[in-house]
Amino acid sequence: MRLDLAAKQLFLSEFIGAFALSMRYFFKPKPTLNYPHEKNPQSPRFRGEHVLRRYPNGEERCIACKLCEAICPAQAITIEAGPRRNDGTRRTTRYDIDMVKCIYCGLCQEACPVDAIVEGPNMEFAVETREELLYDKAKLLANGDRWEREIQRNLKADAPYR
Amino acid sequence: MTDGASVSLWLKLLESVVFAALVLIYVAYILYADRKIWAAVQLRRGPNVVGPWGLLQSFADFAKFALKEPIIPAGANKGVFLLAPVVTGTLAISAFAVIPVNFGWAVANLNVGVLYLFAISSLGVYGVIMAGWASNSKYPFLSALRSAAQMVSYEVSIGFVLVTVLLCAGSLNLTDIVMAQDSGLGLVGWYWLPLLPMFVIFFISALAETNRSPFDLVEAESELVAGFMTEYSATPYVLFMLGEYVAIVSMCAIMSILFLGGWLSPIPFAPFTWVPGVIWFVLKTSFMFFLIAMVKAFVPRYRYDQLMRLGWKVFLPISLVYVVIVAGFLEITGMGGHLH
Amino acid sequence: MTKIVVDGREVDVPADYTLLQACEAAGAEIPRFCFHERLSIAGNCRMCLVELKGAPKPVASCAWGVRDCRPGPNGEPPQVSTKSAVVKKARHGIMEFLLINHPLDCPICDQGGECDLQDQAMAFGVAGSRFHENKRAVEDKYIGPIVRTSMNRCIHCTRCVRFTSEVAGTGDMGAIGRGEDMEITTYLESSMGSELQGNVADLCPVGALLQKPAAFKARPWEMNKTQVVDVMDALGSNIRVDSRGREVLRILPRINDDVNEEWISDKTRHIVDGLKAQRLDRPYIRRDGRLTPASWAEAFAAIAAKVGATDPKRMGFIAGDLVSAEDMFAFKALADRLGSPNIDCRQDGSQLHPRHGRGSYLFNATVAGIERATSLLIVGSNPRRESPVLNARIRKRFLKGDFPIQVIGERADLTYDYDYLGAGTDTLKDLAATVEKAGERPMVIVGQGALTRRDGAAVLALAAKVAQGLGAVSEGWNGFSVLHTAASRVAGLDLGLVPGEGGLDALAMAEPGALDVVYLLGADEVAIGPGAFVVYQGSHGDRGAHRADVILPGAAYTEKAGLYVNTEGRVQQSDRAVFPPGEAREDWAILRALSDQLGARLPFDSYRALKAALQAAVPHFARVEHVVPATGDALGALAAVGGEVERSALRSPVADFYLTNPIARCSAVMAECSVLLAQGHMQQAAE
Repeated sequence: MRLDLAAKQLFLSEFIGAFALSMRYFFKPKPTLNYPHEKNPQSPRFRGEHVLRRYPNGEERCIACKLCEAICPAQAITIEAGPRRNDGTRRTTRYDIDMVKCIYCGLCQEACPVDAIVEGPNMEFAVETREELLYDKAKLLANGDRWEREIQRNLKADAPYR
Repeated sequence: MTDGASVSLWLKLLESVVFAALVLIYVAYILYADRKIWAAVQLRRGPNVVGPWGLLQSFADFAKFALKEPIIPAGANKGVFLLAPVVTGTLAISAFAVIPVNFGWAVANLNVGVLYLFAISSLGVYGVIMAGWASNSKYPFLSALRSAAQMVSYEVSIGFVLVTVLLCAGSLNLTDIVMAQDSGLGLVGWYWLPLLPMFVIFFISALAETNRSPFDLVEAESELVAGFMTEYSATPYVLFMLGEYVAIVSMCAIMSILFLGGWLSPIPFAPFTWVPGVIWFVLKTSFMFFLIAMVKAFVPRYRYDQLMRLGWKVFLPISLVYVVIVAGFLEITGMGGHLH
Repeated sequence: MTKIVVDGREVDVPADYTLLQACEAAGAEIPRFCFHERLSIAGNCRMCLVELKGAPKPVASCAWGVRDCRPGPNGEPPQVSTKSAVVKKARHGIMEFLLINHPLDCPICDQGGECDLQDQAMAFGVAGSRFHENKRAVEDKYIGPIVRTSMNRCIHCTRCVRFTSEVAGTGDMGAIGRGEDMEITTYLESSMGSELQGNVADLCPVGALLQKPAAFKARPWEMNKTQVVDVMDALGSNIRVDSRGREVLRILPRINDDVNEEWISDKTRHIVDGLKAQRLDRPYIRRDGRLTPASWAEAFAAIAAKVGATDPKRMGFIAGDLVSAEDMFAFKALADRLGSPNIDCRQDGSQLHPRHGRGSYLFNATVAGIERATSLLIVGSNPRRESPVLNARIRKRFLKGDFPIQVIGERADLTYDYDYLGAGTDTLKDLAATVEKAGERPMVIVGQGALTRRDGAAVLALAAKVAQGLGAVSEGWNGFSVLHTAASRVAGLDLGLVPGEGGLDALAMAEPGALDVVYLLGADEVAIGPGAFVVYQGSHGDRGAHRADVILPGAAYTEKAGLYVNTEGRVQQSDRAVFPPGEAREDWAILRALSDQLGARLPFDSYRALKAALQAAVPHFARVEHVVPATGDALGALAAVGGEVERSALRSPVADFYLTNPIARCSAVMAECSVLLAQGHMQQAAE
């Protein structure tokens, strides 16, 4: 037994084996994606950057029920509400999401009774300053206008499973 | 000084500069290759963005480091702190002065080339120790102590390995050592075969001597952050990095000279003998580096006591015994005639 | 006591209990919508159905008395089951019926989160509905500036109808139509006319009636709740201030059966926007006739310069109506240390004075005692305007019957019938001459309309004589009750904030040239004549601030902890709900800091130390939540004062219920109410 071991050590058999194994891996195809040029397929349930959506007629969906604010485990959402000036309907006067606090759990979109707040498919929203990650209502609505088509597609794709 | 001597001095200088530049470019691609090989074994792609297939990555990195602000810690000994990377870089490059890349293609064809190499590579430890002490920081200091002990340990066995080669070749001149391997048998006639154990010992000791994985305890990041380079940034850092890789390449070159027949063609007949010797030399050096890179990819890091045990209790006895065997064999067969 | 078995548990309850009360006594939870402890029983929501053994079908427990239950064949006590399958099925069915026409608009409903229907649907309802037809739609009604309607949500519990007809006494609301066409409305879509109308939104178990001013502002779960005492009138209603961050969002009643039961007036409730408007959030100094912003140091320096150059006898101190006891205590300490005898808390010129004893200025009968009274004489007061919740208590007693009420003063709609004796002092004088003992516990309410006259002391004496004649003070009963209009007044009199030896009272201080420096602590109802240097410390930019030469921004009542004493002498602790805005500080802290500058350092460095000093100085302030009763002999002392009275009518000082104090005058909601309700311009249906 000790002789075995000695021979094994002397002839570096383990090293040679490891070398052979490494060489096999060396020539294997590589799974790495060239990220900005190639992307993985994305689930319709992907939870990315938040958007506030509008109805097709341009009316904002959010009715300031504050359920998202209540459920947010990171307390990243701040809403102030009041009757809208022109028609007295219940609207937010302020809808802020602190994207730095947000943990992208998706509970806000689950809580939303009108599908107003949705975590869209966008995950490429890196910015240069922290302040830019404090989203306000205007930014969220603009996001909604930008991603509406993708969000609708995703909602449709996911609808049979809800 | 005569005009002729002056002209030859200028020529020598020009030769040195051109050679050093070529070596550095080669090292740049060695660095690239190192990263690519490591990535490939780990099923990654490695650098592939800067230039075609990422070929310009090393130059981009160099530019980045050169343009960064060097930070010198407040408690550091500024002079020594800045001198250390210069020492490391300069010594590593000066080793190439005696390395013949083809017959007669050496900047300095020294009679004691092997001793020179040995001396220069031993001096490399100074850069590390200076950096570790001058940083005035505990991790670099610990790292420097490790490094000193490690290098001294493995130089002993490297010395004995060199002795066996010298016994066989009968010369300290690197050109002569290569020529002594030109037995007309090609690949099989080189020293790697008869001195195989010594070749292996030298290879492993070279890893230890250049602080390569699996003996990179000097920069064991889990224990010592980045080792003696912890406090370095920008240009001083890049000098360390460069020095390290130049030293590795020089070790590869020395191995191909001592054991793989330098610039000799592995297959001793046409058309292979038509290929310029420098190409064979570069190929052999690159092959040695490939092995070193693969070792990094598949051997886990040694513990410090294992490192010391290997150096003193395995390599030293084996190489000692082998020196005796080789000497005895040469004396009995009379093949060591060159010495007389 | 009657035995009854609820869910197998035998309990012993009074025979006049309803089944619902008996079940609650046994620890069973009975869902309900129409039933309310303080309203009559309607029994129309059917949510409280329980199974009564022997009854052919489930019975509505709120309308079924314990004494109506028949014992078992062998004389066993009646058996009630609240958890049986029958009850469960009944509840499911009722809930499904209720939800048939209830819209699923909880996300946009302000009641969401504190909605009885929501909670009970979760607890006792089923998940789905089998109703696939169209829901009924009801037009929203305009019922005034306070209450917003969303009549689709109404489940016809009629709590609001019963409240307006029973408690408020205005009978504004009612139901028209039957079955699916039933609608709750004010008949002609006119405004409700009650000062207590905001309570219907509290009573509404769903989101059909909501607070209009607070519409959509906040959710119940995101607000901090603080126990505060109201200062809008002298009743000291217990309120809960709901705040978020630095903002007060709404005010709700707390239940206190001794004070306000669970009602509060609209002024108490909807003062909220006044707490944000016209706030003094930094010191000001008048320079060249204009008030310019200044730092605290500058303001203090300006005061110190003026005070240092003035004889203490030429300085005056007037405390306002909304000030806490601690602030007045600190205020008086400052005046004493400066050596000024001119201090007063009676800026309306009321002639009450603590020299006759506490019994001379308290509402001795106590608010809860109204229900024990056997007759009532109201002198110079309009309780409906001066304290609507107290007026509701009088109405509650009135509805029990056998309660003759007489009024001397204004003839007004007090929501109950009364015997109008006359308008003025003549009537009072006649009555004093002819009065005879009436009933067991007669009660006399003397309002500020009788006391804020130059001959107030004499009128008070006459009223005391009448009370004596009626036999208002007897063993265990003191019916002589002064109804105050200022929340701080009783505390001020308890603390002795009245002119010292040779001092001037508030009205005398206000005379032009009477004083050189006048310090107003939240006193806005007194107009200081020209000539004096006026320091105003308060929370709102009202009359006092306009006259001021230096303004020190103080805290409103929601922004400081403090003790308040209500008209019956009950000491109540109020907590701080939010912080004062900007650079404004708590009033006692301002007085303490200023006293340093004036070289008259006050000996307390924290609110706790101040409160301790106050309670040590006036022991009954330590009896928080209690009324320390005054002795009845004050009445005799008062009656003995005598004096000549002028011949004139007694008019309530509260002409406009909605605009009695600086906070209310800064409130847009109160201004709207004043225009629509107090000044009699009822909104007509918008057709």
